[in-house]
Amino acid sequence: MTPVTGIDFERISLCDALDLAVLIEEEARDRYRELAEQLAVHDTPEVADFFARMARIEEHHRSELLERRQTLFGSAPSRVSRSNLFDVEAPEYEQARAFMGVRQALETVLAAEVKAYSFFCEALPRVKDPESKTLFEELRDEEVQHQSMVKAELARCPDRPDDSEAYADDPVAQ
Amino acid sequence: MTALAAAEYKSPLKPIWCPGCGDYGVVQALYRALSAIGRAPHEIAFISGIGCSSRIPGYTTAYGFNTVHGRALPIAQGVKLANPDLLVIVAGGDGDGFSIGGGHVPHAIRRNIDITYLVMDNQVYGLTKGQLSPTSPRGLKTVTSPLGSLEAPINPLLTVLAYGAGFVAQATPADMPGMTALIEEAIRYPGFSFVNIQSPCITFGEEEQQLKAHKARMTPLASLGHDPSNQLAALDLARSYGAELHTGVFYRNPSPPPSYDTLVRQRETELQRGEPRPRTQVLEAY
Repeated sequence: MTPVTGIDFERISLCDALDLAVLIEEEARDRYRELAEQLAVHDTPEVADFFARMARIEEHHRSELLERRQTLFGSAPSRVSRSNLFDVEAPEYEQARAFMGVRQALETVLAAEVKAYSFFCEALPRVKDPESKTLFEELRDEEVQHQSMVKAELARCPDRPDDSEAYADDPVAQ
Repeated sequence: MTALAAAEYKSPLKPIWCPGCGDYGVVQALYRALSAIGRAPHEIAFISGIGCSSRIPGYTTAYGFNTVHGRALPIAQGVKLANPDLLVIVAGGDGDGFSIGGGHVPHAIRRNIDITYLVMDNQVYGLTKGQLSPTSPRGLKTVTSPLGSLEAPINPLLTVLAYGAGFVAQATPADMPGMTALIEEAIRYPGFSFVNIQSPCITFGEEEQQLKAHKARMTPLASLGHDPSNQLAALDLARSYGAELHTGVFYRNPSPPPSYDTLVRQRETELQRGEPRPRTQVLEAY
């Protein structure tokens, strides 16, 4: 199931590719913000803060890409919109759990980075424009770096058992 | 009208659903579908009953009416008849729709009012913490069926098809692009449309009902070569509800009849053509 629809990668231009990259980061940013809000509401402050930090990181990536786009193409209209994307790098909703630990949160982030890496790997063979190809290769390689950083954090993270089931509501015969 | 971004349909109210709930995906798909359709929030009304999924009206910037348990359909029909220009979407769960609300389903369908009914089917009463629902599979152990349910579940797809609905589909948040497209198509269908959305309860649902399992077992109807204009084929496929997770359009009436609201307006026009009659004459006719 492709996470990007309505885009012909054989004809994608550098401007389109940058716009897509910006939106991928934006989608991820928005999802991390949502997950942070959900977990704050559900008394999971440590992971809520962690996801809020991830949202800031994604916003940083987004801003850098946007700056590149604006430098090269100014205010040229974009042909790509959020409706073309379905969770390219955004972590999936079903990964979150009330009372989840930081370890599980890191695993969620890792899964999201792996997804993004897979997307660029799958798209690259279809991209014909050399500049777009170079950009996608760069972004693919960045995802590898991100994965390494998350794995390093995971290695430092204590392997505590997941607390989410301990606090789960018990069913009630009403 | 300038197309609105999906985010324009999202209200500032933060959902209180459990993290991991399937309904987060559903509401995202709704925002996207509404953006694709392009109607402004003030031209849309969400009507719901009671349950986790019935909270959806509050999470949109459209008009919303979170009504009483099982009564979303009659109220939605009233809303549509009173203001036919509104896009009316009904949201609710399997309990709201097929248990307490079950008596309203055949009449909403046979009237063919132009509303879209989205049922978030999770085979459990989630809001009230894990009781058996009308779509729970036989044998399921819950707090109200500790020895295992003895009841055969209602098949919502077969039920709605048998009552004659002109548009019947099934979706899952495990396929976001597919679900978004189906919701949009259902809203665009000119008449009563129904989408059964397998939206798992992360807290009280069974492991095999979660989205990870959906991804492994879902089968798009298009991949089976199913012709959605074939009602009998749709009925046959719908029988496998519970055993299979078929996604896509089961049935789409290739020649949709006029909706009830259209017929009402035609009737009103016809009645206005004649000479106005005094009230007493009208009453005497009865």
